[in-house]
Parts: sequence; structure tokens; C-alpha cells
Amino acid sequence: MLKIAGLVTLILDIILVLTTVFLMWSARKAVEHGNKPVYKVRAYYAPALIIALIAIFAFTITRMPYRALALTPPAATVKVTGHMWYWQFEQEGQPALGALPKGEVIEFAVTAADVNHGFGVFDPDGHIVGQTQAMPGYTNRVRMVLEKPGLYHVLCMEYCGLVHQAMIGFLTVE
Amino acid sequence: MEKRNRNATIAWLVVSFAVFIVMIGLGITMRLAQGLRIEIPPNTFYALMTMHGLGMAGGLFAGALSIIWYIISRTCKVSLAVSWFSWVLFLIGAVALLYATLIGGFGPGWYALYPLPFINAAWPSWATGVAIIALLIMGVSWLLYQLDMLRAMAAQYGASRLLAWEYIAGKKPAEPLPAVILIASMCAIAGALGTLSGAVTLILYLLKWISPGVSLDALLLKNTMFMFGHVIVNVCIYCGLCAVYHLMPKYSGRPWGVNRITAIAWNATLFFVLFAYFHHLYMDFAQNKALHIIGQITSYGSAIPATAVSLFGIASQVYKSGMKWRFTPTAFVLGGMGWAIGGVAAVVDSTIMVNSYFHNTLWVPAHFHTYFLVGYIFMFFGFLHDFFNSKAERFAISSFVGMLVGGYGFLSMFYLGGYYGVPRRYAAYTAIQVGDIANKGALFASLGALFAAVFLLSAIAFAISLFAGRSKATAEAVATT
Repeated sequence: MLKIAGLVTLILDIILVLTTVFLMWSARKAVEHGNKPVYKVRAYYAPALIIALIAIFAFTITRMPYRALALTPPAATVKVTGHMWYWQFEQEGQPALGALPKGEVIEFAVTAADVNHGFGVFDPDGHIVGQTQAMPGYTNRVRMVLEKPGLYHVLCMEYCGLVHQAMIGFLTVE
Repeated sequence: MEKRNRNATIAWLVVSFAVFIVMIGLGITMRLAQGLRIEIPPNTFYALMTMHGLGMAGGLFAGALSIIWYIISRTCKVSLAVSWFSWVLFLIGAVALLYATLIGGFGPGWYALYPLPFINAAWPSWATGVAIIALLIMGVSWLLYQLDMLRAMAAQYGASRLLAWEYIAGKKPAEPLPAVILIASMCAIAGALGTLSGAVTLILYLLKWISPGVSLDALLLKNTMFMFGHVIVNVCIYCGLCAVYHLMPKYSGRPWGVNRITAIAWNATLFFVLFAYFHHLYMDFAQNKALHIIGQITSYGSAIPATAVSLFGIASQVYKSGMKWRFTPTAFVLGGMGWAIGGVAAVVDSTIMVNSYFHNTLWVPAHFHTYFLVGYIFMFFGFLHDFFNSKAERFAISSFVGMLVGGYGFLSMFYLGGYYGVPRRYAAYTAIQVGDIANKGALFASLGALFAAVFLLSAIAFAISLFAGRSKATAEAVATT
């Protein structure tokens, strides 16, 4: 996903830069009513942009994280509470949080005890798997599949005060 | 009156420019600390971060409002007294905010999510109170300034005409509405509504500060705070576009008026800018899903009028125009490009599916720094160059090359950080022991600081070019007489 997003951004940026250079280069000559072709291009551009955005919207909106994996019962449910400045994990039906099953749907029920935090899960290679906010008074439920075995790091993704940069939790996946 | 209006505008522009320069200094300091080039304690880092965010957003917004005030003052009777009164209020608020952050250590970040300002271990309660009151004073300043502009435009053109609805209805008015009046009206209406949302939030914050027992809803206040923040930063850019609409015809020799498409586009922009802020709350799963979907629709929607009208408008001004590439049109065209580049990254991130990965990584400051630093700021500088009638073209263009190199180099480091998942708003990355995030974060920060320093020096050179140009222009005027 990140590769696609980065590539799309890069390609569109290059097109913008080249278009700007072309426009500035074109201005070396003065032609009366020389800007008519711009309006002709716009007549195609606007509908094309609207169609492209509708298509992207239709494709991505069905993949919103709020409904991801909604039909699969979770193999484990972990209650996560953000505190200044540590993560507290409790596994439903277990005395303590053990290793989470690899490749299974895990539901995280995330809240905060004090201020806003951000629950960001990074796999053992340092790639972000998913995230949600931890907010006092609310519980945000997010489901993820943790594919790689090993130690996952939970970083705080919402600024929460003095020790925000060191608020790190750990999840083991086997 | 013209001279007095100019002086009032200069007062705002000077403050805005000075705040911008100082805030870049704070930004460089933070990037150097993240890059492990200097050492500053986390409480100082976060106080600087808070001042940097509030200073940039507030200082640039104030300067942007003064641009549209000056432009409309040429045809409308704006109040000089309101301008000066608002300016004094703004200065009082700014000084108080500097005191609260740099002396008091107030550091909850520029959007100060509830309840962080009231639960902390890093700064005294009085700093929170001073900051809230300072921001309220600044809000009153902006609100007065914007409402007076709306009054003046309504008195001159009629309130019912300001948003050019007659063009949308297909009527051809006897007296055409200038494009700048349409954009300035949109800016003042959206800006005032955004400011009101901020005022409501801050009044509730003040209540909490006075009565700590009061309990408020964190999600509701997140909505009102982001509506305020999102609206004012976007209105800031639209004010820059107002300068582009106003001045480009002078350089291209082509008119740029209101027509039906322009009117629809700017009315749509008014709607989109008020509701696009929902994209800031995508990761709040407890928020109603419909609002998330509205956030993606309005974020995508805002790309349509922005590009199809304003960017194509700039293109139609430039294409085969025979335009001489003096500083102002160059800065305007490249400012439009920077705005669009930042917009692409913003639209990508406003896709809920993508936001799951990019939210609160360095991709976020990457996109908003893009449309501020190489978008609005270029438009702002283009306006300044024309406003001061600077004649130091070569000097200004040379400084602009430095700003392009420094600006895009600095921004690239943010984008790379976001791409690799480096979180934003970290005083240091050293505690992150997963993957190579800590090393990458520190490297990108160091290089970012270097590029930002190039931008800073170039921006100072640009400021000098304004004075150098003025001296030369004055000397030429004296020689002529």
C-alpha cells in the first residue's frame, strides 16, 4: 500500500513539474488569445478527474479499516489502554497477555486512561501494520492479522506529552 | 487614504514575515535535535514544537488576511481603525503565547488535544491559562478583521452578490463582480466560521482551566479544534491565491474575471473546506463512519475546483502570453505548482485506506509543509515583491533559486520519513528499536535541517532584496526628478 501511494504521488508530482516547465517555456512567445487550448484541455480534464476520483473512491471505500475482517470471528481480543507513558495489554479470558497467534484475526479494543494516544503496530521489520487512536472515554475497535512471527512494537502515534517519544509496547506473535 | 492603508498593511506583513523567519529557526532547531546534532530536553522540544505550529499557522494566517484586506481596500471602504485594533490585539496575543511556550514551557502541540493541556508533568498551570487567553485574544483579532472586511465588501457590492450566485444562476450583472471580491468573501466567511469553532473550543478550555472539575468530551473537542485548524490553514492559502488572481493579469496582460465556472468552483470550495476536516479523525474509529466517508468525499471534492479553476486559471494566464519571468509571476506560478504538489500528497493521505498507514507519520507534516512553504509562501513573497515595488529582480530571483533547492530538499526528507513510517512529533527517535526507523528518522532530520537552513538564508536574502530594490527605485525616482 505504501509503495503504491508513494509511487502515485511521485508520478503525479513529476507530471505537475513538467507541465509547469512547459507552460513557462510556452510563454516566451505572445499569441493573441493563445490561451484557448488551455480551456480545451480543461474541458476534458475536469470530467476525467471526477471519473478518476469516483473510481478511486469506490475502490478504496470498501476497504475501510473500520469494517475490515468484520465477518471473521477474532482468534483473540486484546484490551489496550494507553497511559502516560506506557501501554497496558489485557487479553480477554486470559490472566496475562501471552503470545498472539500468527496469521489469525486479532481484535484490539483500544482506549486511554488519561490523554489521547495513538496505537500504532509495527511488525518485526519495522513496517506499520495498522493503527487507531486511543482516546479517553471511547473504545476504538480495530482488527488486524499479524502475519510475521516475532516481536511487534507498539509506538504511540499521537503526541501525548513529555515521554511520548519513548512510549513503546511489545506484542509477541508465534 | 491609500498611504494609510498601505502603512496598516505593512504593519501586518512585517509581523507575519518576522514570525515566519523566527519559526523557521525553531523548526531547524527541532530537526537538528531529532537528527542528534544538538541536544535539547524533551520538555523544551515540545514547547518549541507548540510555538512553531501555533506561530506558523497564526502568523501566516494574519499576514494572509492582510493581503486580502489590502486588495479589497482599493475598492471598498475598510476600517483602518479595526485593522490597527486587530493588529494590536494580535501582537498582545502573540507576545503572551511566546511567554507561555518559551518561558512557561506550554507544550501540548499546536492543536492541543483535550485533555492534554490540563494533564501534564512538564509545564505549570498558569502557562496553560496564559496560552488559552492568548489564543482567544488572537481569535478575537482575526474575527474582527474578517467581519470588517465582509462589512466593507457587502456595503460596496451588496451582501447578496459577494459569493457570485448571480453568475451561477446564469445572469449577467450590469456591474461585473471582481474575482478577488468573490475569493476574499469566501476566505472571510470560511475564516470567520473556523475562528468561531476555535473560539468555542478555547472558551470551553478556559472553563476547564478555571474549574478543573469540569469534564468535557474529548471526541467533540477534537472535532471543533480540527475544524478551526483545518479551515484557517486552508483559508491562508486561498488568500495567497487571491493575490495571484489580483496581480497575474498585470504581468500577463490577460483579464481574469468571474464567470459561472469560477463562481461554482469557489462556492464549492467554501463547502468543502468546512467539512474536509473530518479526514483528521479517520483513526478515531468511534466517530460515526458516515463522517469519515464525508471526509474522504469532501477531501477529494476539494481537488476538483482547486485544479480545474485556479490552476487552469494560472495556466491560461501563462500559456503563450509573452510574459517576462520577473520575480512576482515566477513565484506565483511556482507557488501554484507547490500548492498542487502538496495537494496531491494530501489527497493521497485523505484516502481512508491509505491513512491507516500514513496517519501521524512524517507524511503529514510533509504535505502541509509543502503547500505552505513552496505554495503559500511563494505567493506571499510574490505579493511582497510587487507590493514594495522592488526593482532588485536578479537578487530576488537568485534568492528564489535557493528557496526552491532548500524548500524541496527539506520537504523530500519529510516525505521519505513518512514513506518509511517514521512517526511525527517525536523529540528523538532513539527509543525506537524496531527496523531501521530510528536511524532513518535521524538521518532525514539532519538533512532536513540543512536544507531548511538553505531556505532560511534565501528567505532572508529575499527580504534584503525588497529593501535593496526600494533603495534603487527611490534613487531612480530622484534622478528622474
